[in-house]
Formats: sequence, structure tokens, C-alpha cells
Amino acid sequence: MYFQKKRVIAMLLAGGQGSRLKVLTEKTAKPAVPFGGKYRIIDFPLSNCVNSGIDTVGILTQYQPLELNEYIGNGQPWNLNKTHSCAQVLPPYERHDKKSGWYKGTANAIYQNIDFVDRFDPDYVVILSGDHIYKMDYAAMVAYHEKHNASCTIAVRNVPLEEASRFGILNTNPDNSIYEFEEKPPVPKSTNASMGIYCFNWKVLREALIADEEDPKSSNDFGKNIIPNLLNAGHKMMAYPFNGYWKDVGTIDSLWEANMELLGKEPVFDLRSDERFKIYARNSAQPSSYIDEKAKIRNAFVAEGSEVYGTVKHSIISVGCTIGEGALVEDSVVMPGVTIEAGAIVRNAILGEDSKICKNAVVGGAFGPDEKKSISVTSKGAVVEANTVLLPGDML
Amino acid sequence: MNVMGIIFTNDASIGELTDKRTMASLPFGGRYRQVDFALSNLSSAGVRHVGIISRHNYQSLMNHIGDGEEWGLELEEGGLEFLTPYAQSVTDTYRGKLESLNSAMDFLEYGADDELVVMIDSAILSNVDLTDVLNKHVESGADVTVVTKAGVANGVKKLDLALKVENGQVTDMVVDYAAPAEYVASMDIFVLRKKWLIQQVKEMIARDKFHMDRDLVMGGWQRGKVSVNVYPFAGIAMFNESAEEYFRNSLALIKEDVRHDIFHGNHPIFTKVRDRVPTYYGEACDIENCLVADGCMLEGEAKDSVLFRQVTVCPGAEVKHCVIMNDSVVGEGAELKYVILDKNVTVTPGAKLIGTKTNPIIVKRGETV
Repeated sequence: MYFQKKRVIAMLLAGGQGSRLKVLTEKTAKPAVPFGGKYRIIDFPLSNCVNSGIDTVGILTQYQPLELNEYIGNGQPWNLNKTHSCAQVLPPYERHDKKSGWYKGTANAIYQNIDFVDRFDPDYVVILSGDHIYKMDYAAMVAYHEKHNASCTIAVRNVPLEEASRFGILNTNPDNSIYEFEEKPPVPKSTNASMGIYCFNWKVLREALIADEEDPKSSNDFGKNIIPNLLNAGHKMMAYPFNGYWKDVGTIDSLWEANMELLGKEPVFDLRSDERFKIYARNSAQPSSYIDEKAKIRNAFVAEGSEVYGTVKHSIISVGCTIGEGALVEDSVVMPGVTIEAGAIVRNAILGEDSKICKNAVVGGAFGPDEKKSISVTSKGAVVEANTVLLPGDML
Repeated sequence: MNVMGIIFTNDASIGELTDKRTMASLPFGGRYRQVDFALSNLSSAGVRHVGIISRHNYQSLMNHIGDGEEWGLELEEGGLEFLTPYAQSVTDTYRGKLESLNSAMDFLEYGADDELVVMIDSAILSNVDLTDVLNKHVESGADVTVVTKAGVANGVKKLDLALKVENGQVTDMVVDYAAPAEYVASMDIFVLRKKWLIQQVKEMIARDKFHMDRDLVMGGWQRGKVSVNVYPFAGIAMFNESAEEYFRNSLALIKEDVRHDIFHGNHPIFTKVRDRVPTYYGEACDIENCLVADGCMLEGEAKDSVLFRQVTVCPGAEVKHCVIMNDSVVGEGAELKYVILDKNVTVTPGAKLIGTKTNPIIVKRGETV
């Protein structure tokens, strides 16, 4: 078989469980979690790839892959199904030398797929993860990497100093070259947080992965092992500052927040901006949404195939939902296929796919006096029975 | 069953709306083109070889359909073929369906002889289970099955083909005539055996007969040469054969029973993906009884209307009983009643356009009013 040589390919780490999303990732991998009415989290890195001219993407899956695999399919929604492009799902597999099995860590996942990468003989490999919401031109990052003749370039963003100890922090010289990497430092020296987006020279990464695999003490992780090892070995490593919107949606609170940040006349994250940098999603073949004469919608997204008879305020209503007469949905994220029956009240909630809120049920409510978010969550297919209550912060 | 589909793009004109496009590529229902219904009906019945016969104005149609990927027709074997006059060395337009079929003989003769052919038009829209139609056709043993709709004939509307059916038997047929209410209207969906059709087309053309309804179906039936089976369709059928009907049917889609039948009846209706963001409803918008596609920005008022993709309704604008096509913008404080805005129309702030139920104002594509 003929494989076209590629200058850049991307490897997307999509195998994590996303356990902090709790019931939302019980039956599905985090990258397949719905977002913004018609998208899934993985649409963002995949669309970024396509919009950056990267047409070969290996997608490493492990945890609950059924829905994710179905969703990716042959990569058609992102135009990755052409003669010289691909979206290749790469699950763990058994190998003759037993150096295989479940992916032990992020670096091991790439190590096990060295053969896949080698086929394209790439100069650069971009490593991405499936848990962030952002629009980014990876081509600009690769150009920066190339210009600085680096072995590895890491995208960074400025975080508030008080939050810096939650991140991998990169300490840099004035020219943005990295001299030190600290994973979650108690006393951070800088506020350059790693975004988990790496660009490597494939030759360098390939060697590093093989060396890392031979180290029995390694946890086979990019942040813990590969990056510090390369730095210690004296490789030139650059920080690539990124100032655009970027959100880790790894927790219930941040997922809710990121959805809310799509709303408003001038939203924090404006999906409409830049027509040439669209986010692509698998098409659900739903008709237009229907807004009834009794409906009242304020500051909200309503996606295709939904029918709204009730009141929706400051919320995201995804594809194929029904909001019954007299129902109220406020400050909530309603995922695809949800039915909210007449008279139900939903506040500060995330309703998982295909869940059902029966007549006059109440889900969630106001946040406590301490302003701590207490978001109620229903899992995929959950049913909140008629006239019952799901308390603020509770999960079903 | 090996089935081939032929879609006629229908070159009838319904005025400004079809100036620069065929009936097949006329936008309908917020996010569709009329041809999507024919394509979805065929593809949902497992038809994997479809020819599209178009006389002219087919550029917007080709742009919409592409390689047929959205309908699962981007196949190496079979798939989708555009049968345009140019590609068939006939530069003049066809006089009738039989003539166009004769020009498409290479397409018809391709593949196995045992195939059935479904012929379907693009101006009469429905969500029909063609698998059932095909099965009933085979059971009937008839030469031609015509899918029909009762309740359309009313003595006023001129029908391409109307049939009188008594005790399951066709007792009369009329062509291009405002048949009375006891007749059923042909939905311009026919099922025939391919080998038989090829023979008929050749014989008809040899005698300078080119009209499908008049010469082949009615003429053949009258001469006792062609047996005709009728498939009565129970669902919603929308005859969009004039601007007035198009307007009325567009607004009828807002009704629950109508939209559920036509969009979800037997299968989904597929269309070209546009990857628009979900529609945003602003702080002061007032949207009531509307069908709304994706990508809209709604800050004003809209009632009893169909809003296509990427429509903007600015604050203070008032839209009632309107069909607003893709990318059109209704400026601040503008007032529209009984209006069809074609694609990409800009209504300047404060403008007022008032049509009537039977005579809507139509604003041409790309215009500013």
C-alpha cells in the first residue's frame, strides 16, 4: 500500500476515562461527551486539525470506545476520509513481543503506534488531547516550532498565579525557550501553563518513546517523563504562547461553564466568529427546530430537531430535544435527545443524552449562598420521575 | 431487488423563485432543497443507482448534491449520475420525459435487465416508503404503478395526470386537466420494469411520442396495451407547482402533524451538511410558532414563519407569515408580512413589506430592499 509522506500528522489522545465528569462518562469516553448543542468535545481538536491543514489524524482510544468510534466513523464529517487523508482509530492491541496491551500512559499509547506514524514518515507530530474546547491553528504552531529549530514545542497559556499549581508549569527564558518543567508545582515560578498540546520532531520523539519504554520506573507519560527527559538531555524546547479561548472541560463545573460561555450577544467563546475556521460535527439529519406560540426563549442556543413549547432561559438546548408546555429550563445544558415534560423545572443542571424529566419534576435549583456551584446532573438515559425532585448538586 | 432511480428536476417555472434554479434546487422547509425528498426516498429504500435528469439551470443543483455523499450515493458502483443535455450530445431541451429518457439510454441500459425503475419528480414532496411501493408493484404484476394522492383534485388545480379508481381498478385517466374531486392525483412517482421501459421509450420515440403521462401511461392504458396499478399514498404530499402553493405548503410545515409526517414519517430527510452553529435566541427575541433552522441570529420578533439557515432577525424587526431563506437579514425595525425572501436578501432597517396570503411578496436572491 502506498502512503503519502506527510510533513505533519496529529495524534489525538482520546482514551482517558474522564472520571471527574462522573455520571456523564459512565457509558461514554470524555471526547464523545456532547458540547454546545450539536458538537462533541472531540470535534474541536479534529476540526482544528482540518482547519490547520493536517489531514492525517491517529485517534488513540481505550475507555468505553463504542460511542466514540461510531462518532468518528471514517472521519467523513471532518473531510478525513479522502484518498490522502485519514482519521484512524487506534485501540490497544496484542503484539507478538507482549510489549502491548492496555495503554499504560499517554507516551505508551503513542509508543504502541510507532508503526502507524512511521507509515507517513512525518517531519513533525502534533500531540493533542480530547478534553479541551478551543480553536487553534496548529499550522502556526508548527511554523513557530520549525522557525526556532526546536525538538519540541509546547503550547502555553497564562493562568492566574493562584491557579498555577494545578498545571504543568513551563519556566522560560526571554526568548520563550524552556529551561525547566514542573508538574503541578506547590510554589510556581511562572504562570506559563502547558495546554497539553505538543509539537515534536518525529525522529526525536520516536527515540524518546523507545528509551522511555525501556525504563521500568517510568509512568510512560508525556508530562511526567518524556518532556522532562528531553529537557534534561539538552534538547531545544520552546513555549508557544496562545492567547485565544481555551477551556479544560474535565469537570462538571467547567463543562457547564464552557457551555454557558457560548451564550450572550458577545459570548466569551464565539463559535460564529471566523467563518473559515468552522467546527465540524457529525450530522444528525434532523429537521429545523419548532418553536411553539407558547414558547419563550431568551439568550439561548436551540439546535436542530428540537421542539420548544415551554420557557428556556440562558441555556443550551441540543439536537432533538423536547421542552414541554409550561416547563422551565434555566442556566442549564440539555444534551441531545432529552425530553422535558410539561411543568418540569430544570435549573443549573446538565441533563445527559436521552434523559427524561417527567411531568412537574424539579431538577436542580439556585446555587448555595457561598456561590459554590452545585450542578445537578442526569446520566445518559436517566429518568426523573413525575413530581419528584433531584436536588441541587445531586446526580442520577 | 435491483432498483434504479431516476429523478426529474422539473423545469417548470414558478416565477422569480425558479429564475436561476430548477424546481429541484428550490429551498424548502428551512434547510432542504426540494430534491432532498426524492433523494431521501430513494436512498432509504436502498436504491443505490440514481440518475438525475436536468434540462437546464442545473449548476445550483450539482453544487447542492455533489457526489451524493449525504444520501449515501457516493459509490463506485452505481451511485449518482447527472444526465444533463450537454453530456448526451443533445443541446436542445427535451420536449417530454420520454425524450429525456431516450437521451439517457446509456444510463438506463447499464446494469442488470431484471431491475425495476423508480421515476420521481422534484416538485411534489413526500416522505414515502418506496420499498412498499416496489413490493406492491411486483405483487400487482402491472406494467406501471402510479403513486397517487386523494383529496388533491378539486376541479380547479390542473393536474399532470389524474386517475379515477373504482374498486381498485382504474376506470379513467386525464392529463393536464383540472380533474374533479373523485379523481386521485398522480404524485409523479412511477415504478416500472426497466427492460419494459426501455422498449416502450424506443417505440414511443420512433413514433415521435415524448410525453410520459399522455403517450405512455394514458395512451397505452386506453389502447389496452399498458396495465396500470395505483398505489394510494396515505401520508402528506405537497404539490409545489406554483408560487402560491409553495408559500402555502411552506407555512403548513409549521403544523405538528404535517412536519412530523414529512420529516419523520418513514425515514429522515437528508440534506447537504452546512456545519452552522446552533441558532442563537437573543435577550429580547419573541419567536412564536416558527420553524427555525440552524445558524440563525434571532433578536427580533417572528411569528408563523419558516426561517432558513443563517437568517438574522435584528432587534425590533417584525416577521409574520414569511418564508425567509438562507443568509437573509431583516434589519432593525423592519416589518414583513406574507413575504418570501430568497437567499441572501437584505431588508434595510425600518423597511416595510406587506403581501397577502395568496399573493406573497417575493424578493429575489441577493437583493436589498
